[in-house]
Amino acid sequence: MTKSPSPLLDARVVLQRGDLSLDVEIVVERGETVAIMGPNGAGKTTLLYALLGWLPLQSGWVLLDNEIFEAPGQDQVTSTQDRNLGMVFQDGLLFPHLNVVENISFGAGKDADNHDLMERLDVLPLSEKYPAELSAGQTQRVALARTLAARPKMVFLDEPLASIDLTARIDARNSIRSALEQSLAGALLVTHDPTDAFALAQKVLVLEEGKVTQFGTPVQIRSQPKSRWVADLMGWNVFHGVGHGSSVTLADGTQLATSESDLSGETMVMISPSSVALFLERPGGSPRNSWLCRIQRVEHLDSLARISLSGPLDLYADITSDAADELDLTPGRDLWVSIKATEVRANTILGRRH
Amino acid sequence: MTSRLPVSIRVLAVFAVSFVALPLLSLLWRVPWARLATLLTRNAVMDALLLSVTTSVVAALISLALGVPLALQLSRMTGLAVSAIRAVVVLPMILPPVVGGAALLFAFGRNGLVGSVLADITGLVFPYTIGGVVLANTFVALPFVVITVEGALRAIDPRYELAASTLGANRSRLTFKIVLPMVRPALIAGGFIAWARALGEFGATITFAGNIQGKTQTLPLAVFVALESDREAALVMSVLLVSVSLIVLVSLRDRWWPVR
Repeated sequence: MTKSPSPLLDARVVLQRGDLSLDVEIVVERGETVAIMGPNGAGKTTLLYALLGWLPLQSGWVLLDNEIFEAPGQDQVTSTQDRNLGMVFQDGLLFPHLNVVENISFGAGKDADNHDLMERLDVLPLSEKYPAELSAGQTQRVALARTLAARPKMVFLDEPLASIDLTARIDARNSIRSALEQSLAGALLVTHDPTDAFALAQKVLVLEEGKVTQFGTPVQIRSQPKSRWVADLMGWNVFHGVGHGSSVTLADGTQLATSESDLSGETMVMISPSSVALFLERPGGSPRNSWLCRIQRVEHLDSLARISLSGPLDLYADITSDAADELDLTPGRDLWVSIKATEVRANTILGRRH
Repeated sequence: MTSRLPVSIRVLAVFAVSFVALPLLSLLWRVPWARLATLLTRNAVMDALLLSVTTSVVAALISLALGVPLALQLSRMTGLAVSAIRAVVVLPMILPPVVGGAALLFAFGRNGLVGSVLADITGLVFPYTIGGVVLANTFVALPFVVITVEGALRAIDPRYELAASTLGANRSRLTFKIVLPMVRPALIAGGFIAWARALGEFGATITFAGNIQGKTQTLPLAVFVALESDREAALVMSVLLVSVSLIVLVSLRDRWWPVR
């Protein structure tokens, strides 16, 4: 019998909870970390709880490592305690009456040797301390150790870095990454920080209002955002207009040529700030997307300069700081802006969403 | 610095404190301190003291043993059922204790609903026995355990249960290793308050278990009897009860209400 390569997690979660109606299909390969991103209330944590068996599915299925936890026509639902799924909560949620060692060994069993794990996560010196005595970063490392000590087949992390201040976050991110690489078959990471998602995950699932709006590699998410939320998150320029064929007319009549060919009706247009080209003189060869704009603001971020422009289109342009200096870009100056049609992404919006 | 209240309110506040403190001070005022030891070691007093301590401790333990499971059950219920059950359990807290004693007689008396069957099968008889004292004490003390512990259980973040479950904990491990240890302060407070309530029990005890010296005459009953015959003994026993209540109060001050 040949063994077909099956994913680690294969699930479809359909459920209604308050105003949220969640319908998500998700597949995680072995050894893979998938980040779940989305606005508040999109159902990210609810999805984790459902996969854990903590919230009942209305329909769908959950399979982990070929083991069926729940599926249509199957009466028996595997309980949370038998799923072998680990969970790291945003606030750590260590048991307050147990010290660090007792917390870590709670799920591991009496005979388990957690010395290496504790050493790797640098929590050995904290062994005898109680949760109330730990900093946010220490709490999160202990929480991760507690989850990993139970040897789960997969680990869920719900905003594990949100409660940690920025200076400690890099260390925390590193310990999560090395721990995930060393001991796990796969992970789901809920985060609102693209840095975390891109640093820790091989794939990103974008969840909005209970539905998946995009699922792809970090590069795909960054370069081809499929929704306004992702585009905003990535700092893209977003416009609304009416599409017809390959062009879009914005509310003020401005025409935009796009990379699409069959647009119709209400359309969302997304332009990466890095594909906005700036010229002191009107560019030759009459490119279609070309306007005279005025510089409003120039912000320097490391070696990058973000230029805020106003004109027929209000947009951001990212150019290198060197180029910005060379062009002598100062607020109040007028510039020619040009965008290749192939760099203008457009999606027809089917059915208006709030 | 907090701002000052109107004079009228401050006067009333002082009056309220005096109203409670004065009777207690009068009690101490009249105690024959010189003869304290001799009065305390009288047979009737010693009998009552021993009986009171034993029955109240046993009643507090039974209240914990029954009240904690009920609190656990109530804490995970919602809707009308929980209100109804809680109302029934809490009733002895506000019921006149004499009525409670009468109700116990109709249930556990020799001809009572349960009592007659119990007596036939096991030979256990409650009225006018030490068992009756424990039963009456438990009846009035149980609600204090249920209310205190249920409140604490409801305050626990339910995600702790999820966390324990993802770590493979089954129902009993979850209950005994996580949930109950997390409400330990409430278990201690509930136990002590139940004990203090049982120690002071009067109405239900005298109605259900009678007033037999050395058998069912607890300290409060002995105080009541002594007031007629031996004022000094009554004073001494009263002071004893006040001291015990004070000790419980002081040792629980962090748990029963927040300090500061």
